[in-house]
Amino acid sequence: MKKPLKPSDISKKSDCLCRIEEGELAPLPPPYEDFNQNIPTPLKAEKTGNIETSLDNTVAIGIPRPASKEEEEALIKQFLSGLQKLFEKENNWTFLQPLLLSLEHCARCQTCSEACPVFEMSGRQEIYRPIFRSEVLRRIYKKYIKPGGKLTAKFTGDIDLNWEAIARLAELSYRCTLCRRCASVCPIGVDNGLIAREIRKLFSQEMGIAPKELHDMGTIQHLKTGSSTGMTAAAAKDSVEFIQEEMEEITGYEVEIPWDVEGADILLIHNAGEILSWPENVGAFAIIFQAAGLSWTLSSETAGYDVVNYGIWYDDVQLSRVAVRHADIARRLKVKKIVIGECGHAHKALTVIADRLLTGDLNIPRESAMVTLENIVMSGKLKFDPQKNDFPVTLHDPCNVVRSMGIVEPQRRILKKLAPRFREMTPHGVDNYCCGGGSGFAIMSRYNFAEWRNLVSSRKKFLQILKAFENESPETPKYVCAPCSNCKGTIRDIIHYYRAEERSRLYYGGLVELTVNALAGMKKPIINFGDKPSWE
Amino acid sequence: MGYYILTYLCLAVFITAVGRLMYRHLTIPVHLRWEIYPVQGEPADKVSYGGSYMEEMNWWEKKRKSSRVNEIFYMAPEILLMRGLWKENKRLWQMSFPLHLGLYLMLATFLLLSISSVSTLCGFAEDGGIMIVNGLSVATGWIGLIAGVIGSTGMLYKRLADRELRDYSTFADYFNIVFILIFFLCAFVAASTVDPLFNASRDYVLGLFSAGRAVPAYVPGRSLPGALTIILASLLTAYIPLTHLSHMFMKFFLYHRVKWDDTPNRPGSPIETAVKKNLEYRPTWKARHVDTDGKLSWREIASSAPKEMK
Repeated sequence: MKKPLKPSDISKKSDCLCRIEEGELAPLPPPYEDFNQNIPTPLKAEKTGNIETSLDNTVAIGIPRPASKEEEEALIKQFLSGLQKLFEKENNWTFLQPLLLSLEHCARCQTCSEACPVFEMSGRQEIYRPIFRSEVLRRIYKKYIKPGGKLTAKFTGDIDLNWEAIARLAELSYRCTLCRRCASVCPIGVDNGLIAREIRKLFSQEMGIAPKELHDMGTIQHLKTGSSTGMTAAAAKDSVEFIQEEMEEITGYEVEIPWDVEGADILLIHNAGEILSWPENVGAFAIIFQAAGLSWTLSSETAGYDVVNYGIWYDDVQLSRVAVRHADIARRLKVKKIVIGECGHAHKALTVIADRLLTGDLNIPRESAMVTLENIVMSGKLKFDPQKNDFPVTLHDPCNVVRSMGIVEPQRRILKKLAPRFREMTPHGVDNYCCGGGSGFAIMSRYNFAEWRNLVSSRKKFLQILKAFENESPETPKYVCAPCSNCKGTIRDIIHYYRAEERSRLYYGGLVELTVNALAGMKKPIINFGDKPSWE
Repeated sequence: MGYYILTYLCLAVFITAVGRLMYRHLTIPVHLRWEIYPVQGEPADKVSYGGSYMEEMNWWEKKRKSSRVNEIFYMAPEILLMRGLWKENKRLWQMSFPLHLGLYLMLATFLLLSISSVSTLCGFAEDGGIMIVNGLSVATGWIGLIAGVIGSTGMLYKRLADRELRDYSTFADYFNIVFILIFFLCAFVAASTVDPLFNASRDYVLGLFSAGRAVPAYVPGRSLPGALTIILASLLTAYIPLTHLSHMFMKFFLYHRVKWDDTPNRPGSPIETAVKKNLEYRPTWKARHVDTDGKLSWREIASSAPKEMK
């Protein structure tokens, strides 16, 4: 029996604070029991070298250990300087009030723990408890930042600050998907997801510590080359030209994908990952927008063809830069509104969060593609044949679209009309579970992080999907509709990892694909189960 | 007189501390939106499933519908009955609810005693209305004391017995609960032994309103439990807003200013004015991609490229 860890143990000297043992993870049902003994592969010292792994032998960031005592002290000093800034309006007006309220009013009642899928699925590993990391930060704040904190620490909760504590806290902030299910059930309104994000921000904005996938290859690459995928505008245009040709093959009529049309009603911005990995999504939008007679355009400006904003996960400065770039592109194109493609975090970043960053003529109206699609489907302008979607369908709710934005019903109204065998997951809507790839996890895969994601953070979603289809035969192809690129990527990885295509015939895709699949008059289906897509 | 001075001082601390907390959160910069749905200020049809105005096509062209009534209908049982805890954590609710109920009823008792005292000071006759108020204060007082003793004992037991609560509890958490328990116990003993109809309590409140000059103002210290109750009640009043126990009223900000704050930034709105002001702050973050040494504003940084690109 493991000795339960306490928040003060974060600074304990040990190789590994918490190790998931075989059989500890929540059990999977048949035919997946053979995965029940799987745990993230332990990292070997020769592979990690000087990288800090002492939290749980999983690495999300990869922070090098300090080479000397002096370096360690300098890092602690930097950390405290960053922590101080989190409580200054000049540095953190963006989230100062929510942070203060969440840090100062938690009653430590543990209600949040039961809502957290990572904690539950991990076999209730203490470090993954939503309050664990918050309590560590709270104690450090009270002891080292608040006046007289060192004197009152024994009263308010003592904690030692050393390199281990800092490095583990940084890693621990990347064991939460920021799904905010914990915050939604807190009777007081405390938000442990917010605290996790504030920790990430401190490390990024003060110490320059963030996962490479989010910063160097994420926001920096996005602002520099135009897309976090590394795709340039020329490459995006080439790919879209190819998609356009293939869509003509499917629809039987000429599809025009417009670029940089000044004065169009709509600037549609996709997650560029769709262009690379799910071209049918981009094509389906083009088909239905054209069929509905909308005035729309894509943008080939740097970052104008990639709606992602990884800043939302770790850094307010980068978040602001990307949001301003998107808004400025729309302003210069003189469009009436930006429609955000099927990308959950971009929905929240550009519509909700950036709402209080964009002023004057940068405050271009933003709308979810799900709302636009619903309007098209319900308008009666187009004819649909729901029988084309006569296969079991369930809907994954992206947290950023439902819980963080309140867009719950438009996607359901579409599915109820166009997918006769649609069924909900349990729970769903604003009570949904994260896919496990939230807050950047979907694109983070260095060391053994992808394996940790598949085994721990995505496990609840996998169980939910299996449950939604439990009455279907294993041979029946089933469609998980995930209207978010990162969720789709995560579900793709779950299906692959657990070999669920072979065992349960699970497939996944977006909402627009289902919509266009049901469109009357199409020459070929856009959704293909296991076979090669009809355009290949 | 010393008891009265203590109570006055403690009330002053309470008012100052609450005022300070309120002032801080009323004047803090407007933050980025971070709401969680369901937002109870939405119209009832949206609240039922957690929908928002952003589900509407071209929502910015429409008049926004919001409902304070929905918020009140949600908050009343949330505050009074702790509905959220009931729904999500019933085992804890069984003890937390009586504790909170006890504190609410103590406050209600104080208010009822105040009404009665002010009536006396104003020379109103002890007619049916005052009799009802006095009767109510006895009922709220007794129910509150019993609930408070059960709740605080139960919460102390839970914090000690439940490993998950114990491992995250600090000395301050135990101190808070023991403090509240001792107050309830003293008050219960005082009421049981010397003041079952709260007449002495009423006299003490009358004394508070008249600086001890009104007759028949209670002479504190007439009994040890009575004296202790006055001291502990006064200190507890001062102590609550200095600790996380202030969540009882700071919940307003957690809900209305964060969880349910979905007010859009419309051109020319007070939100836009506040955002413009915020964008003029000059941050001093040190990481390479932000490092501006406080020379550039958020607005300038947001429209600039990170150093890695230069």
